[in-house]
Amino acid sequence: MDVKLPRLGEGADSGIVVNILVAEGDQIQKDQTILELENEKAVAPIPSPVSGTIQKIHVKEGDEITVGQVLISLVEEEAAPQVSATGKPETTFESSKGLPRPAAEAKEEAVLAKEYRYEAKSGVPPPASPSIRKLARDLGIDLTRVQGSEPGGRITLKDVRDYIQRLQQMAFEKRPVSREAFLRPPESIDFSKWGSVTKKRMSPLRRTVAARTQEAWSTVPHVFQFDEADISALLEMRKKYAPLYEKKGARLTLTALALKAAVVPLKKHPIFNASLDESTQEIVYKEYYHIGVAVDTESGLIVPVIKDVDRKSLFDLSRELGEVAERTRRREVSLGELQGGTLTISNLGGIGGAHFTPIVYKPQSAVIGLGQGTLKPVVRNNQVEIRTMLPVTLSYDHRLIDGADGARFIRDFVEALQNFKEENFKLEGK
Amino acid sequence: MEPLKTEIVVLGAGPGGYAAAFYAADKGKKVVLVEQHRRLGGVCLNSGCIPSKALLHSIQLIREAKSSTLRGISFDEPRIDLARMRAWKESILDKLGQGIAGLAQRRNVEVLHGRGHFEDSRTLRVETAEGQKFINYETGIIAVGSKPAMPSAFDLGNKRVMTSTEALELEEIPNELLVVGGGYIGMELGTVYATLGSKVTVVELLDSILLGADPDLVRPVMRYAQEAFKEVRLKTKVLKMATSGRQIKVTMESEKQRTEELYDRVLVCVGRVSNCADLGLENTKVERDDKGFVKVDAQKRTADPAIFAIGDVAGGALLAHKAAREARIAVDAITGEASSADAFVIPAVIFTDPEVAWCGLTESEAKEKGMQVQVAKFPWSASGRALTLDRPDGLTKLIIEPETERILGVGIVGAGAGELISEGVLAVEMGATARDLADCVHPHPTLSETLMECAEVFYGYSTHTFARKRTGTLLKEAAR
Repeated sequence: MDVKLPRLGEGADSGIVVNILVAEGDQIQKDQTILELENEKAVAPIPSPVSGTIQKIHVKEGDEITVGQVLISLVEEEAAPQVSATGKPETTFESSKGLPRPAAEAKEEAVLAKEYRYEAKSGVPPPASPSIRKLARDLGIDLTRVQGSEPGGRITLKDVRDYIQRLQQMAFEKRPVSREAFLRPPESIDFSKWGSVTKKRMSPLRRTVAARTQEAWSTVPHVFQFDEADISALLEMRKKYAPLYEKKGARLTLTALALKAAVVPLKKHPIFNASLDESTQEIVYKEYYHIGVAVDTESGLIVPVIKDVDRKSLFDLSRELGEVAERTRRREVSLGELQGGTLTISNLGGIGGAHFTPIVYKPQSAVIGLGQGTLKPVVRNNQVEIRTMLPVTLSYDHRLIDGADGARFIRDFVEALQNFKEENFKLEGK
Repeated sequence: MEPLKTEIVVLGAGPGGYAAAFYAADKGKKVVLVEQHRRLGGVCLNSGCIPSKALLHSIQLIREAKSSTLRGISFDEPRIDLARMRAWKESILDKLGQGIAGLAQRRNVEVLHGRGHFEDSRTLRVETAEGQKFINYETGIIAVGSKPAMPSAFDLGNKRVMTSTEALELEEIPNELLVVGGGYIGMELGTVYATLGSKVTVVELLDSILLGADPDLVRPVMRYAQEAFKEVRLKTKVLKMATSGRQIKVTMESEKQRTEELYDRVLVCVGRVSNCADLGLENTKVERDDKGFVKVDAQKRTADPAIFAIGDVAGGALLAHKAAREARIAVDAITGEASSADAFVIPAVIFTDPEVAWCGLTESEAKEKGMQVQVAKFPWSASGRALTLDRPDGLTKLIIEPETERILGVGIVGAGAGELISEGVLAVEMGATARDLADCVHPHPTLSETLMECAEVFYGYSTHTFARKRTGTLLKEAAR
């Protein structure tokens, strides 16, 4: 059978082969990884759906491949026929021995309608009665694009009707502007006119980051609100508990603390946890708190999402954050782990710098940027004191949120950091 | 003289031409049909399908009578009255020809008898018995057909060297008849003459008779020919012929061995050539290929936008039913309907004894193209009906696409195969699977059951055969 690139997730219909882990002639097991695909923001392992011997590998490293493309051909292991109590042999049949696929997979097929093309090994046109073929000719419909629902993939009148209706539906659907479209400047500039240059293709990850940020930048009216949080007390507590966390295998970072603190203003100001549905002009309030954390990897920015932050203890958050960040750096997070965020925190404090203005990660409505905490002379109770001050920026979508709300939110966040309760650090029963 | 004005002129009233004329008229077009012969119907009706089948039917009884002795009914030697046979055959042709003329009249299709000659892309000159007539038309359809090829080396101007046209006139029953060419025409007419008493020798250049048919379908015909004919010589080339008194001296070469033999008559069946010489095509933009056939596109339009060509003259399979289908395609295109010759199935029937018929993909074709197919076969020796007809020498086979179980082709050899093949055409055209065919109840006892049982052979459960190896997925459906 031919193993094809399966659909991996929302928007993930192509990628670049970065690693082929098998060779022709190899015996492989079901679910064994065939190759790794750099896809949007992750490197995804592609497993084999069956066990067998690889006859041919159809792709090579560096190939850009799309859903449905044949990756390898393999000879399936012969499953020994099982004999049931009645003594009759029960034979199992692989339903997808080749294109065209039978009706049982119709549901899955519907999703792939755009990519469908009938390809018979024998090269014959798709099965359809003369009357249906005449109809298709009259309408100018290419029958190889129509999925037949009858045995052998035969196309009925209903299949043609469904196909046309789907086309019509698609034609009137509001289509998001192609993300790629933003990236194509009208003309190539010859920089080598002014000196020597090297050229490198943009990786899929770079392209994704570029497309996403450009789209957000051009569609979201950004407002930036700056503040500073006195984290002296917070750092004291961290110092006290960090060894304990360390022992239990968790790193107590400022990002983890910020995660915990962010839930407070988010709950108080639900609009910051909301999204604008541009197609329906509805504001969608989310009753979950999934916070994305910007992670710097060798290949670029990736934002894995920590789910249900409000329901997790500081310890659990610390441990999960450390683990996810590590996997992100190794580019082993799944696409699912990159989706569903309601707010993002970007902490550049570890590198340095004060305030910066992060870009809202659409369709979220706000992002918090943390700079490096530094010792500063601060007036407290009419005294100049030396305190550790953390630069905080809130970037938000002015379509949803007004300046006053922004100020309120950032104050509440700063307060949450400054008044971080020690009990949060406690390891209950751990 | 004022030229005749018409929307469509059809040149040639064979099965392509009259079908085009009638269909165009049925669609409301003003049509003129031009035919040089007195009787409409073309080669098919006058010197092809119809007369040959009439003769084959007549002689069938002789063979039946002979084999009947074994079944307990005997006859004396048959007495053959060639004049009556010819007359009966002619009466059929007259009836059919008049039928076509009548149908033309009722549709207001004007029939002009005479040779047509293109003056330019929009004008046809017709040499009628009453003198020249000119037709101004909007669209012309060339359907002038083909005629038997007669290589100049054989063309002695001697009536003892015949083509199929003369052979069908049945002037006499020669004692020694040489048939040059083991194609379907040679084999059919050889059968007629052999049954009537001629000693028939067939020579064929290639290593098999009936080129195009699968070898397993040809085998029973070859067995018949070896018994009924004096000889079937394969890989033999006829080099030259010469008149030798009342006989023809024929020089042949087989495996470098040259022989000279005398025959009372020779029938030359070495292919057919298009009839488009002397049509004035040079006055139009019509182009021809290197074999002389008119070049057409999928809608049968020639290089000249005002002229279409259908049937034999447009090349491809030289078959009446192909011409008739092309008539529809061309007229649909002329009347602005979407139509094209998209891969429709053209069945082929050879009326030998036994008959051979196939449609869609053949096994040989699949092999040539390197296509992965599965072939299911049902021998007629397992068919009750075939045994009651005393014709167990048949075979039914299906060419199946393994992944989808779709029937891509059907092949049949056996008595009445020509009638049976239509079910195969329906199956292939409808995109039927072997399962569809197996699940349709076929009446017992008939030969049509062989098609159903053949599909069952594919799944490994044909009642009347035992398959050691099953090819289809027998339990797939049951498991659902």
